[in-house]
Amino acid sequence: MELSGQIFSWVYQYFDNMAFLLLAASGLILIYGMMGVINMAHGEIMMIGAYIAASAFHAGAPAPVAIVAAGVGAGLAGVVLERLVIRHFYNQLLSSLVVTWGLSLIISQAALLILGPSIMNMPTPFGSFSVGGFSFGVYRMVLFAVAVALIVAVWALFRFTAFGIAARAAMENPRMAAALGVDTKRIYTLTFAIGCALGGIAGGMFAQTATISPFFGQNYTPMAFITVVMGGSANAILGLIYAALYLAGVQTVASNVFNPYVGYVSIMASALIALLVMPAGISDFIQRRRARAMER
Amino acid sequence: MPQSPRAALPVRILASFNGPQTLGNSRFFWCCWLVAILALALLPCFASRYHVLTASNFLISSILALSLCLIWGYCGILSLGQAAFFGVGGYAYGIVGINLIEPMGNTDLALLAGVLAPAAFAACIGGLMFYSRLKGVYVAILMLVVSLLLGLFMRQTADPSYTIGGAYLGGMNGLGPATASDPALPSLTLGLAGYAVEFDGRGRDFYWFVLGVGIAVYLGLRWLVNSSFGYLLVACREDLQRTETFGYDVRLVQLGVFCLSAALAGLSGALYTAWGAYIHPDGFSVAPNILVVIWVAVGGRKDLTSVVVSTLALNAISIELAAWGEISLLALGVILVTAMLAAPEGVAATLGAWIGGIVGRKRAGSATSSVPARLGAAL
Repeated sequence: MELSGQIFSWVYQYFDNMAFLLLAASGLILIYGMMGVINMAHGEIMMIGAYIAASAFHAGAPAPVAIVAAGVGAGLAGVVLERLVIRHFYNQLLSSLVVTWGLSLIISQAALLILGPSIMNMPTPFGSFSVGGFSFGVYRMVLFAVAVALIVAVWALFRFTAFGIAARAAMENPRMAAALGVDTKRIYTLTFAIGCALGGIAGGMFAQTATISPFFGQNYTPMAFITVVMGGSANAILGLIYAALYLAGVQTVASNVFNPYVGYVSIMASALIALLVMPAGISDFIQRRRARAMER
Repeated sequence: MPQSPRAALPVRILASFNGPQTLGNSRFFWCCWLVAILALALLPCFASRYHVLTASNFLISSILALSLCLIWGYCGILSLGQAAFFGVGGYAYGIVGINLIEPMGNTDLALLAGVLAPAAFAACIGGLMFYSRLKGVYVAILMLVVSLLLGLFMRQTADPSYTIGGAYLGGMNGLGPATASDPALPSLTLGLAGYAVEFDGRGRDFYWFVLGVGIAVYLGLRWLVNSSFGYLLVACREDLQRTETFGYDVRLVQLGVFCLSAALAGLSGALYTAWGAYIHPDGFSVAPNILVVIWVAVGGRKDLTSVVVSTLALNAISIELAAWGEISLLALGVILVTAMLAAPEGVAATLGAWIGGIVGRKRAGSATSSVPARLGAAL
């Protein structure tokens, strides 16, 4: 009984850690992979989503509706940011990094001024079940399912729809796409908004497991950044999945054998080691391997 | 600057600080510079104790800003975690200082540790990053994560077992003595052959000392970036691959300048710890890291003088805003985004080039000065 519970506990934690990384990084890596901008304000977008979800929930909306509202609100915030600031910084990697960091400072400090340092809460739904003498929350499994569903949805959006084809064309060769009648500016705005909406949904989902404060996002961004850096920009979605599979494994083992802090540090260390082998990220590495295999 | 053989000695000395990599190479600039330095040096004579105290901190911040300016502005390596080196330097100074102040009677070795520890740390991390040819964006983000992880580590050191000799890391209480019999965090005490001079962080002497260090760092960096090594740095910034094709080991250049920058940031951190007799895990958090980037980006990352001017100005602004409530970080964020939209090369640098253009044009009639061309080239 004890052993089965122990084994299940590790598997459960592995999926929980993976859900965390997938949700926190999905919007970020979409924006980076499609537009080459690492959005340092992503954590604050998640914070906006969390506040919207919690307010909607306390106003009487059911949790799923509250989370959709969080996605819509964060997406609209993304449109505003992109129109006002971000679009001036395409193709300037380092400057876009700095300017989005400035935006994150503005958003979190403004939230602190308006909402105060007090915290908000949302209850964790679904209760728990037990395996082998250990108790597990159902909601963590829902998080994982939602993360997978979101990623499949994004993949389908960019793979099958007319918007997706236009977006991939704009990414591949913006001038050619524009010459063929694709409104690349609109595509960029929409892609950024979708990335922010994903962040908002993630914020809404996490809002039910953590307390919400103006610095809510800072708990998620470091790990999200590492996942994105490891995933690379060559094939964003595939890179995200591989990076999450790898990092969640490292974190589960290290935090069980040692402690959560060692878990964090080992994520950092394993990401560094992985980058020594694959300096442009996992997805780039795999794409090159494939290209080499094709040549043979 | 080409020199005639009969040029006077001051002109020849000045010439080694001048060049296309810095704004402000004219005699007019250096006169203004001298006046500004004199004003700063005389500040304790007419300002209150409180103003001298805050001014010391501003000067320490300027050294930190210069360290980021060197790698980001001149070599194109953006680090979003420059405060990591600042904090490591501060902690190293404190730990060595607490342990050695009584047996040695001075903090010479502590100051040295505050400079060398971050440099060694940078050599390890930088070696891994630059020799694996990591992309610039990844370097920037990994440095931020390193800084946050260091902060996370320092936060959980409240356990009494985290002592190094007589120093107790102390978690959220900040670094302090391990037991009541151990000395407190020492103020800066420079000793040489039996003599020891103590610089109390709250006093005028410390202010003058920091001013001297700041001037030395500024002039040293001006000399460095205008030397042939400086040209190499700028070449790395502009095109890494082409520089490598010319036969330079760009990884070594990047690593070297990264370590130098870490050493300067560590010097700044050590001075900060001596200034406030205080160092805390929050030094590794997001706010100090973003502040350095704001100072450098708003001033103009490609020019040393602009960075110093903007650091002093922005520090003064945030102190003034503190009187209006907790809005100084919000205001700095707005200033950063506005400045990057309106003057991508930096506010102080743009203004400096404009003033230089006006002054240069007035002189162009009488002398064969090429100041405006030079100012233009440096931007």
